[in-house]
Amino acid sequence: MATDPGQVRADPRVRGAEENQTVLIQRTLRSGQSIFYPGNVVVLGDVNPGAQVAATGDVIVVGALRGTVHAGAGGDEAAVVIAFRLEPTQLRIAEHVSRPPAGMVPAGQPEVARVRDGVISIGAFSGAGERQGTVARALVPYDLEAESDSEK
Amino acid sequence: MGEIIVITSGKGGVGKTTAAANIGAGLALRGYKAALVDADIGLRNLDVVLGLENRIVYDLVDVAHGHCRLKQALIKDKRFEGLHLLPAAQTKDKTAVKPEQMREICLQLSEEFDYVIIDCPAGIEQGFRNAVAGAEKAIVITTPEVSAVRDADRVIGLLEAAELREPKLVINRLRPKMVRQGNMMNIEDIIDILAVDLLGVIPEDEKIIVTTNKGDPVIQDERSLSGEAFRNITRRILGEPVPLMDLERNGNFFLRLRRMVGLG
Repeated sequence: MATDPGQVRADPRVRGAEENQTVLIQRTLRSGQSIFYPGNVVVLGDVNPGAQVAATGDVIVVGALRGTVHAGAGGDEAAVVIAFRLEPTQLRIAEHVSRPPAGMVPAGQPEVARVRDGVISIGAFSGAGERQGTVARALVPYDLEAESDSEK
Repeated sequence: MGEIIVITSGKGGVGKTTAAANIGAGLALRGYKAALVDADIGLRNLDVVLGLENRIVYDLVDVAHGHCRLKQALIKDKRFEGLHLLPAAQTKDKTAVKPEQMREICLQLSEEFDYVIIDCPAGIEQGFRNAVAGAEKAIVITTPEVSAVRDADRVIGLLEAAELREPKLVINRLRPKMVRQGNMMNIEDIIDILAVDLLGVIPEDEKIIVTTNKGDPVIQDERSLSGEAFRNITRRILGEPVPLMDLERNGNFFLRLRRMVGLG
């Protein structure tokens, strides 16, 4: 299968017409719980390890993001992930997959993840309606094929 | 009407049964009538931990199927005035009881007892659903391990879905020394993820292994830290405000001295 490193297919669990709507999740998503939504997702709580959020648009977590999130799950490279505490198990935007580098120290401030030059990068989120932040650090691009090869 | 509390964890081996036995004994020692229900059908242990195995005639499944009256299956613990055990069946499996039957038995028990404590099996399948069906409150047990905390988180989500809101957390087998060295999750790390109220912390204690094997709840042991931890948990269940104890009370003298003068 000829896929570029770090690519992932659109998540088939995100069903329905892609509309620019936003769903509000007013609770913490615990391990085993998941949200799949064709639009934007705002979580007023934490996304714990083992929980999953996938959306065709942006994903905003007003709390700690420790689980797995897929923004732009329909292929939108401009989608972003914003969290008060961005400490994900794995982060996906459009067809890119990445994970935080080992031993990453939490930034202690809200951060935004977006695709820059084909890589998911993280920067401080300065808020006030601003979608652009300065890129502070890049996440390690996650090569699905290389990873599965190493298991053989 | 008494309170019906389920003790659950998701992961196995974190101390559900030990906690159930000690909390039940603790409530009895404080003068309350407590019924322990072993919901782990097919892998019953609570009777062994309490040293009551040789007195089982009827069990939970017999009651559910009407083979005997509830009173006949209840075993009175002669060491603790007011403590009774409804043992699980050992030859059946989890499908031998339905959630409605479990609920009915728990309700019936709550008419006579101040506290009904259900010892939930590991896992999140039928046995878990049976155990939580009759409960009004939940105690979630975890150990300071990533896998146990992950499972506790999953279980808290399932409890919320079953309308059992605001479960209380017990952290078992904490090793203060390892926490201090940064080699074990600390209490704050665990609370940060699970975001529930803490009911108590039980330190790792060899005494528990000895007392559990003997069928003699550690809560009676006035000198052990784990016994004291369980006595505190019991008092908190009864609504008394009890501060968390110093888990390093019996620790190194010089270390305590250093901490006292602010160097530790």
